[in-house]
Amino acid sequence: MNRKEIWVYLERNPEEIEDVSLEILGRAKELGKKSDMSVVGVMLGKEPGNLGDIALKHGADKVIFLKDSLLESYSTEDYTKALFEIINKRMPEIFLLGATYQGRDLAGRLSARLRTGLTANVVSLDIDTDGYLLSGVPGYGSKVLAEIICVRNKPQMSTVRPGIFSKKLIPIKAGIVEVLDLDLQGSVSRVRVVSRKVEKHPDLSRAEKVIIAGNGVEGNLDMVAKMADIFGARLGVSRPIADKGKASRELQVGSTGYSLNAKLVLIFGVSGAEHFLPGIANCQTVISINMDRESDIFEYSDYCVVADASKIIPILLREGGDR
Amino acid sequence: MRNIIVCTKIVPKAEDMNFDPETKTMKRSGVENQINEADKNAIELSLKIKEKNGGRVVLLSMGPPFFEQYLKIGIAMGADDAILLSDRLFAGADTFATSATLAAAIRKIGDYDLVLCGEETSDGGTGQVPSQLAELLDLPQMLFVSEVDVDGNNLKAKRTIKGGYEIVESGMPAILSIELGINQPRFPDFKRKRWADKEFSLTIWSASSLEIKPELTGTSGSYTIVKRLTEYFTHQRQRISVEGTAEQQANKIMEILREYG
Repeated sequence: MNRKEIWVYLERNPEEIEDVSLEILGRAKELGKKSDMSVVGVMLGKEPGNLGDIALKHGADKVIFLKDSLLESYSTEDYTKALFEIINKRMPEIFLLGATYQGRDLAGRLSARLRTGLTANVVSLDIDTDGYLLSGVPGYGSKVLAEIICVRNKPQMSTVRPGIFSKKLIPIKAGIVEVLDLDLQGSVSRVRVVSRKVEKHPDLSRAEKVIIAGNGVEGNLDMVAKMADIFGARLGVSRPIADKGKASRELQVGSTGYSLNAKLVLIFGVSGAEHFLPGIANCQTVISINMDRESDIFEYSDYCVVADASKIIPILLREGGDR
Repeated sequence: MRNIIVCTKIVPKAEDMNFDPETKTMKRSGVENQINEADKNAIELSLKIKEKNGGRVVLLSMGPPFFEQYLKIGIAMGADDAILLSDRLFAGADTFATSATLAAAIRKIGDYDLVLCGEETSDGGTGQVPSQLAELLDLPQMLFVSEVDVDGNNLKAKRTIKGGYEIVESGMPAILSIELGINQPRFPDFKRKRWADKEFSLTIWSASSLEIKPELTGTSGSYTIVKRLTEYFTHQRQRISVEGTAEQQANKIMEILREYG
């Protein structure tokens, strides 16, 4: 009898596999060992290139490549159709995707078509004693962890937050890349992409040191950015700064932006709104600088500095420059 | 323009919610509620679309009867109608059962061009309903949208993707999820609020008013269950106060920065 399978969606961007997909492969491999299941990476596109081999090195026992020129770039409806058919044929036990914009767009639609359960933005994955996938989701401003199982159908689906698991190089025996020519007869997509503007930003969730600017230092953004540069840190911003268009969404920290996993984070002028807090929950050391002694941010900080940031920043710039 | 339906959830304010390790449940007593923030942005956007293109804005929510007072705030903002799906059978729904119930209600409302949802709610935070709803209604979906332009039957939207954005278009009807914070929701109009409180009557639909099998709603229509709730331990913060002059405070920060190389 064939072994049961854990499938992992391999998101392309477009020349590489997204880190989150490789991170999930690593965790899936551990779960596979625990429950005697094999790990299969699933990728869609025009040509597999060498991406299949990269997945095999990161924990996949096998890669399935769904090939069609229509699948070169992502579309909700074409990708859903292609995945729905192959999943229905092979029926994996588990199907995991990254909780990225694309992964979340796809997972909702696909799970509804498959009539199966989907758990969102998962921060922990395990197999319980009955063999079900146990997906951990923080709730209510990260005060609780709800562990969720999908009991009624297969595959059990979850989207996994980037930066939670670490990608690992795993020595393999001989994995294969199975290429399936789909020969799709025209696109079913009703949404047309007119234009796209994408910049390559370093992924904040993996930065070791981050300096965050909030509303309180809106007027000093340039100085905060300069400071990040001097101290070898990445710049992050709170939601209001991104909302006002003063910084890219790619720099936004919080529940609707990045969740950081930094060793050290320095936070200037952020009030500590509930949507911000999950973004720093996994950081090792948090230093906050805020004028308001009563600010909520201090509840979630290791070092609380009640001060005018515009006085502190020039000193830090001077000291940093002297090094 | 035909109906613009805005899915609106009433959520507890998270800062009021606390976990009770004894009972392993959330303590809700004395908790304040509000319209989910991203849903407010969706309501504001729907009103802007209506001002330009006509149509009616209909709020659609699912939950207990006390949601009424919050939906009336949406009416006072300018929505034309509000419908509350309320039935004990609907309780305990996961995102799929929620979507199935909302889909049945949207079919019953009918005659619509747009369904708007906030990108996600502050309590569940899954963001799954918009795309599950789109699938169940067989509509095109555009998620994480920040700008919308309606021209005849053509819809153009700016949506966030990794590293930037796309301009996408489709025909209508379509489903959009609206990014949190894309606009400044207007305040409820005082006169309209008074009218809403006195004269507006909320439409309430129970399971029997919808064309959906009861077993497809609530707990029985859900595919996922919460196996257990545990306290989520992240790092315990030390909350050390760094006092002194700006110079002394900055020196302490430098010291920590140097520790981390």
